[in-house]
Amino acid sequence: MLRCINRLIEPTSGSIKFLGKDITHLKGEELRKIKMQIGMVFQQFNLIKRRSVLTNVITGKLGSISTFDSILEKFDNEIIDEAYKNLETVGIRDKAKERADSLSGGQQQRVAIARSLMQNPKLLLADEPVASLDPATSNSVMQYFEKINKEFGTTVICNLHFLSLVRRYATQVIALKAGEIIYQGFPNEIDETWFKAIYGEEAEEVEIR
Amino acid sequence: MIADPEIEIHPHKIIERNKRRENKFNFIKAVLLDIFFVFYSIIVLQRAIYYKFILDLRDLPFSWNEIGIIFLISIVIGILWASTRTSLSSKLFGISRDNSVTKWTVEIFGWFLFNITFIAGWIETKISLVDLFSSEGIQGAQRIFGALFQPELGIFDDALFAIIETIYIALLATLISIPPTLLLSFFTARNLMKDNKISFAVYYVLRIVLNFIRSIEPLIWAIIFSVWVGIGPYAGMIALLVHTIASNAKLYSEAIENIEEGPVEVIAATGANKIQIVWYAVVPQIVLPFLSFTI
Repeated sequence: MLRCINRLIEPTSGSIKFLGKDITHLKGEELRKIKMQIGMVFQQFNLIKRRSVLTNVITGKLGSISTFDSILEKFDNEIIDEAYKNLETVGIRDKAKERADSLSGGQQQRVAIARSLMQNPKLLLADEPVASLDPATSNSVMQYFEKINKEFGTTVICNLHFLSLVRRYATQVIALKAGEIIYQGFPNEIDETWFKAIYGEEAEEVEIR
Repeated sequence: MIADPEIEIHPHKIIERNKRRENKFNFIKAVLLDIFFVFYSIIVLQRAIYYKFILDLRDLPFSWNEIGIIFLISIVIGILWASTRTSLSSKLFGISRDNSVTKWTVEIFGWFLFNITFIAGWIETKISLVDLFSSEGIQGAQRIFGALFQPELGIFDDALFAIIETIYIALLATLISIPPTLLLSFFTARNLMKDNKISFAVYYVLRIVLNFIRSIEPLIWAIIFSVWVGIGPYAGMIALLVHTIASNAKLYSEAIENIEEGPVEVIAATGANKIQIVWYAVVPQIVLPFLSFTI
């Protein structure tokens, strides 16, 4: 569903509205403009492994850099400063010159968050951002999402499988099963029966702190 | 406002209709394949086995009338056979009747085809152990292999310069091939070109052209270019160049098709255009394989 929102996958039915505008059938230049306003963080981080952390962060800004400049990798000082500022926000400014694949999983995910911040997104989509991280790092990554939400006023849509994280960080919960919305409400209202309905009878809640 | 759909669509009806249509299409394909099988086996039986092996003729009689008659016969047999749904090709397309007759015909006809092909190939290539081990032939071979180990030193300096020339030809062909190959490889990578119809058409045409060029040996290209630019090292260089471009573009584009899709998705999600996607998400992943292919 997250991929549908920024049109990485075409929806089979229904429509997508973003900032009061139907973006379901946009094409070309208009679609790129919309995509520039929607940040996305992936489960597998999807960094460019052979490039520096700084370059990776700057790729978030590619939509507003001219093609010629981006091929020469000639970036304005403002953009570089902004990249450093965003790395600061996620607390890994000192890693800026290192190669992206030399970082740990949690750090890579933070680079990915910094990259999406470069877009100054109105909406940040997070596709299972903590599914391949350990509990402690999961928590810190989620804290950065919370920080972004509170400081920049960015809406964050995040899909999670851990109820404890949901209870701790979420403000609104939507549960999907087989493409249908089966639960919509506040995180503290999810109880055992709802949980079983979402994940099946055999599911048991796993705590993560 | 969303308009209400005018006709209610039942998915299972559509599925059934598609299945019937597919069956009809498969049946036509099966008939054509059966006609070909029957035609092929009659021709092989008549020409390779009857004329060549049994009658031992040197110059085979050839007439279009005969072939036409055989073709008509095989059309009739093919249609009749395929319509009983017990033929080999109806089994191949999965529309055969499931009974013991089908099993027998398919098995027997399959073996029959395999065996006559093998026998006809044996007769056509004139396999003979006698020729391989005749004393005269072995002496000739000994002469050639002996000369290999006792080179004539009188032409040594000529040969040395020819070797150096060859190295330069190869080096120049490889170097000049790099830029066009790089450019071509992006246009022949399926994952970059599949997004819209025009680029997919370009992809397809380029692939066909490259396959065609690659299937022609560099030696043949050398002949063509020595007619074009004159006999000499230049013709050889262009011949090698053409072949290198065609074969390396294939390797490169396969490297591009093997990249991780994740970074491509990310860069696309930031609103970057196509060229930026290629430069930031594809190029960093393919630099190493490209280097190893070229060197």
